[in-house]
Amino acid sequence: MKDRKAAILAEIPRLRRYARALLHDADAADDLVQDCLERALLRLDNWQTGESPRRWLFTIMHHLFVDQMRKSRRRSEVVMLTLDDSEALSSPATQTETIASREIVDALQAVSPDRRAALLMVGIEGFSYAEAANILGIPAGTLMSRIARGREELRGLLDDASRRRMIRVVER
Amino acid sequence: MTARDYTERDIHMSLDGELPAEEAADFQAWLAANPEMKARSSRFEADRAGLRRALAGVLDEPLPERFARIVSGERVPARRAVLWRSAAAAAAIFAVGALGGYLAGVGDLGLGASADDRIAEQAIAAHTVYSAEQRHAVEVGADDRDHLLGWLSKRTGVTLIAPDLAAEGFELVGGRLLPSGGKPAAMLLYEDAGKNRISVYVTGDGEAKARGTYADADGGPSAIYWLDEGYACAVVGTLPKERLADVARSAWRQLAAGAGIG
Repeated sequence: MKDRKAAILAEIPRLRRYARALLHDADAADDLVQDCLERALLRLDNWQTGESPRRWLFTIMHHLFVDQMRKSRRRSEVVMLTLDDSEALSSPATQTETIASREIVDALQAVSPDRRAALLMVGIEGFSYAEAANILGIPAGTLMSRIARGREELRGLLDDASRRRMIRVVER
Repeated sequence: MTARDYTERDIHMSLDGELPAEEAADFQAWLAANPEMKARSSRFEADRAGLRRALAGVLDEPLPERFARIVSGERVPARRAVLWRSAAAAAAIFAVGALGGYLAGVGDLGLGASADDRIAEQAIAAHTVYSAEQRHAVEVGADDRDHLLGWLSKRTGVTLIAPDLAAEGFELVGGRLLPSGGKPAAMLLYEDAGKNRISVYVTGDGEAKARGTYADADGGPSAIYWLDEGYACAVVGTLPKERLADVARSAWRQLAAGAGIG
């Protein structure tokens, strides 16, 4: 039991990073991490020996994220628009965030939640396709198309943002 | 060469380390021979690097001490409720709202109804009522555009232009003046060739910055809204999400430029 708890503790920084990338807002992200930890503790017995703690915890977190998205669809704060910096919500997660970093994380919030999760699992958290598909509970083919579409979407949003910036520069 | 045909799918697989090792050289040769695909691959790779950079700092942030306490099995007292928007922005909206309500002596900002919710709700209500009207949807028609915009700008106190949404397939029908929590608001109604209507709702309100989407649970119209520098705008319609987002983005860009925001 002690080992398990230590293993959970060791995963918290990664869980936080994933949550932050999913939700951007630091407090909302930490709330998601807290929910995840609480649920993990309740289900400590379900954790199969030999199962990677990371995969187990990310699966729990993913289910919680899906629940939240479902609930928030009503009054959705699933922000789908990335405008430029002046129009963006000013809630820098860290003081040292550069404009480029903020722009890309902002743009990420405009990518649909399914694609965002797939993109992050593989691109940031380094899960293999098989692992990520397992965590997200989808076939590998679906995962791949979500990653591909997610990357396209993100690139498109960033292109839009830079085009707008250029227009502004010209206007001045 | 035994090279199979590579596709864009392989770009992602390669990037994610899922391409079989024995295909790697072949694939690189294919990329080299397809500059467009190579450029794509580089862009995706750069985006991933950018994301990694942007998120790297999180790993080094000190952990909230409540996490360790939870894992040790301690009961951690209830934390504050999750706010489904930027907590900081929400706090600002609540603060401004409460003060504004107090000064005006009007308690129209009920607990939990922040300025952006209120504006989105009013915009949706206006859309629901007036977009259904055939003959009396607007007070002043698009044929009298200058008068319409001059009049609405004067009454709302914000510089109002009528966004040109022709590229999105929408033409201005006209507009009307509406009450918005005791203040005047302007509503511009647009229609496309398929008789779909959207409305652009503008009022001089909302000092905090916010943006978001507000949708009815039952599939009614949804609103995409912005609040910025004392200028609030909501675009309302029942279009598919992406299309509404496109229209809204275009409308906001023009409105903001017209009002000199940003």
